[in-house]
Amino acid sequence: MRRGISAAVLAAAVTLTAAACGSSSDDSAKQSGPVTITWWDTSDATNEAPAYKALVADFEKANPDIKVTYVNVPFANAQTKFQTAASTGNGAPDVLRADVGWLPAFAKAGFLVPLDGTPAAAQKSSFEPQLIQQATYGGKLYGMPEVTDTLGFLYNKKLFTAAGITQAPTSWTALEADAAQIKAKDKVDGFAFNPASYYAMPFIYGEGTDLIDAANKKITVDSPAATKGMDELNTLVHSPGVSKLDTTANGYANIMDAFESGKVASIINGPWETTNILKGSAFTDASNLGIAAVPAGSTGKAGAPIGGHNLVAYAGADAAHQAASEKFIAFMTSAASESTIAQKNATLPTRSDAYTSAVTSNAGIAGFQKILSAGVPRPAVPEYSSLYTPMQTDLVKMLDGQESVPTGLHNIDLAAKKLLPDYQG
Amino acid sequence: MPSPSTTSSPAPSTAPAPAASPPRRAGLPLLSALRRSYDRHWYAWAMCLPVAVVLVLVVGYPLVQGLYLTFTDANSLNVGRTIGVNHIPDSFHWIGLRNYIDVLTGPDNQFWPHFVWTLIWTFGCVAITYGIGLGLAVLLNRPMRGRTVYRLLLILPWAVPTFVTVFSWRLILADNGAVNQLLHALHLGQPSWLSDPFAQRVAAIAVNVWVGVPFQMVSLLGGLQSIPDSLYEAAEMDGASPWQRFRYVTLPGLRPVSSTVILLGVIWTFNQFNVIYLLFGSTDSDGVQILVTYAYRLFFGQQPQDYAGAATVGMLCLSLLIVFTSVYRRWLARAQAEEGVWS
Amino acid sequence: MALPTDVRDTARDRKRPDGRPSGRGSRGRTASAGLHGLLVAASFVAVFPIGWIFYISLGPGEFDYQHPGRILSHATLSDYGYVLAHTGFGTWMLNSLIVGLGTMAVGVLISASAGYAVSRMRFPGRRKLMYTFLLTQMFPVAVLMVPLYRILGQLRLLDSYGGLILVYCATAVPYCAWLLKGYFDTIPVEIDEAGRIDGLTPFGTFWRLIVPLAKPGLSVAAFYTFLTAWGEVAFASQFMLSEGKYTLAVGLQTYISQYNSQWNYMAATAVLIAIPAAVVFYVVQKHLVTGITAGSTKG
Repeated sequence: MRRGISAAVLAAAVTLTAAACGSSSDDSAKQSGPVTITWWDTSDATNEAPAYKALVADFEKANPDIKVTYVNVPFANAQTKFQTAASTGNGAPDVLRADVGWLPAFAKAGFLVPLDGTPAAAQKSSFEPQLIQQATYGGKLYGMPEVTDTLGFLYNKKLFTAAGITQAPTSWTALEADAAQIKAKDKVDGFAFNPASYYAMPFIYGEGTDLIDAANKKITVDSPAATKGMDELNTLVHSPGVSKLDTTANGYANIMDAFESGKVASIINGPWETTNILKGSAFTDASNLGIAAVPAGSTGKAGAPIGGHNLVAYAGADAAHQAASEKFIAFMTSAASESTIAQKNATLPTRSDAYTSAVTSNAGIAGFQKILSAGVPRPAVPEYSSLYTPMQTDLVKMLDGQESVPTGLHNIDLAAKKLLPDYQG
Repeated sequence: MPSPSTTSSPAPSTAPAPAASPPRRAGLPLLSALRRSYDRHWYAWAMCLPVAVVLVLVVGYPLVQGLYLTFTDANSLNVGRTIGVNHIPDSFHWIGLRNYIDVLTGPDNQFWPHFVWTLIWTFGCVAITYGIGLGLAVLLNRPMRGRTVYRLLLILPWAVPTFVTVFSWRLILADNGAVNQLLHALHLGQPSWLSDPFAQRVAAIAVNVWVGVPFQMVSLLGGLQSIPDSLYEAAEMDGASPWQRFRYVTLPGLRPVSSTVILLGVIWTFNQFNVIYLLFGSTDSDGVQILVTYAYRLFFGQQPQDYAGAATVGMLCLSLLIVFTSVYRRWLARAQAEEGVWS
Repeated sequence: MALPTDVRDTARDRKRPDGRPSGRGSRGRTASAGLHGLLVAASFVAVFPIGWIFYISLGPGEFDYQHPGRILSHATLSDYGYVLAHTGFGTWMLNSLIVGLGTMAVGVLISASAGYAVSRMRFPGRRKLMYTFLLTQMFPVAVLMVPLYRILGQLRLLDSYGGLILVYCATAVPYCAWLLKGYFDTIPVEIDEAGRIDGLTPFGTFWRLIVPLAKPGLSVAAFYTFLTAWGEVAFASQFMLSEGKYTLAVGLQTYISQYNSQWNYMAATAVLIAIPAAVVFYVVQKHLVTGITAGSTKG
């Protein structure tokens, strides 16, 4: 039956070709040589990765029986990639640099190794308590904080003093007044707001509330306190002296460009921008950059979201890989490592003993270190970080005037209920 | 010519039979009939086997699985997964048609606004792209100097990947980008192309047209070149004006290509993911999201990922396109029959 | 439609009674200027975005794209130098070429086989297969991401060229098969019969006689499959896990970090990506027009 054989050969050829191109990545635990772990790093490939790669090389020198495969994964894809890889059991790395918002979902799904009692968490007490709290889910610690950030009030000191303002505003109403004054005296806008839901959080935290109340399983985004905060934001972006809202895709870059060239006197942003800001024409003198806590709401207490990244270990790896991963995490989050990274990348360390004088000589780091205490940790609820997306849509509509604040918050409430069906409110 | 198989095809298709003996129908046992069928057709099946394998494996199986998921409440937290040696089984439940009901009539009301916009988007883009493509094809069909150069330049939007060209369009359509600079120089208004809801839609259609014209142009050019000169001569001898020649010789002669190209255009535009995704990213642009990108957001834009919801929207997209295709083909067939033997 | 043979002369040879060339073949000066003017305008619109991104890539600073006017004063090719020397560009390009050419080879092969079979042979399931080709283009494939990932994982095709080639073939082949079926329809069956008389099997006929005649159609299929693979972002981002396997589409995304985008390097990389695509196009463009042609009329 030559015909039948030919047909079968044709079919087999196709399948075999495809399979032959497949990777032969069967490096399971049978090796007695060095253990190779994979690290998915989501840092900036151009500016931050070199420092991390250097640390990886140091680690390999200090631990000759562990090899680390460094993979830089674009931040935008990393969460999905890890989720897909971990849930199908194929291709997941041993260590991941996970944004703080990703951790609860991964922990709940069982993808992460609890780190209490492992070498990774040996120096747990040296870390900022809020960051440890943010890395905890269901009472267990799942990640070691690697870098942190928060939002602060950044301002151009010269423009402020020229308008007769001696210190940063401590409340939103004070900011409105300051912005109008700067516009009148200095002829530039006093404040520019980046219309993203993350940046609207200080207005909600400032009223002493959050998007959800995890302890009581309530959705509080449309509570009276949150409404008050949102109204305050709405008033602020429409007051004189505050830049017209820029909701284009390049809006963020435009705001930063304006601030760096002195066309806007103040913004709210995080430490990731200080390096760029200090390259701007208005900040050739580094001391001109003022960093203060975000203004407070009517409660008098300021609150800013805490961002950052934790190093987590994949629970699907075998024991040898997990042990190596834990050692790696301990190394990367040691005081020495964090200081090195802070000096090279201008990121904020997550433990007080890493803030050496060399580190704090960077004005941006020193300034932000002072305001870290105003940070509000997120609830350990997997769906929380997903709330920012529906919030974004309605935030823009509210600030643009297409929706009233109560309607917008109600829509966000509906979207939140879809994500958290067993929550009330 | 690429034509749907129900329209009349000019090519004769006789079946070559390697060792032909006419099949005897009545009274043959099934096995014999199958064997005869196999003997006669195994070449064809063998040649189609690779395609079938690839399609079943890569498209068919996930599609069936997706269909199954639409009747459950599966999300990334209750789908089974293997973590090392632990295997956590599926824990989602069958909920019947509830996903469809929620999507189509739920209080969230996300589906219908996106659906209406997707329709406007699809038919607007296809109409404009076809029109411009036809115009350019007619222009290019004439003998002239530099024809090849023009063709080369006009097809560039197709040759360069969309993630490069759309990225460029983002810069050009920015508030202070090239387009607005030009409008400013002409003393016209400068809308925020990437953030004002109405301008976003215009910008999305414009960029998609820019991306889609080369394909239409090339297809129609091929179609134009296949219309024999003799028909034009005859029309001219009868005293037809250029417009009449266009209407009564060119357009009908293009009908086979046009019908295919429009059908493909509708299918591809309806599911055009790249342009909107790359032009607007994943924020601030709910009004311009078409059903496909909306489904993608459900899938990847939130935690836990809503597999069932995304698959539901995907299935609805598929159903809509299937309905459209059958209606379209039936309409084509009827129009063809009415016109008589024209193509 | 039977026409008298003498009418089939081309227009250019005939003249009107008054000696002027017949209307269709000639053009006045203004019409010519108008024609060229329109085409120039259309070409400008077609090429501008690519030219613009090239212009932006000449600006060495990360934020030069926001001030394009300033680029002229310090235009340089340093971005290209950085991209070529300090990033994985070479690897990305190689991977994209492998995947693109692989998709092209495999895709054209299997779509030509299927197209030929459907064109020439009446077999059960023929209509259904054609309809399936149409159907598979209708589903938003982005939603199939996770099941596909699972399948590729089980086939051990993750982080491999074969996996991507397989997925790309599934998306490109239906259209190509349909296209090639139409193209094969225009090749007279007499050729097949001649082949059979000479003792060739259907495969032989296909390979030796039909394929050389179908070059235009195959060029289009090749172009289409290559472009599909070259320009695809979503699957490449998801299925290529190690840095050594990143394609250009994924590599371009590495310039976008959480807070920063290196627009200047992105622009330079974008230009470097556009060049091979344009080259492949130039190679096949001769056949593109004839390849997508509707059924030719005979005689």
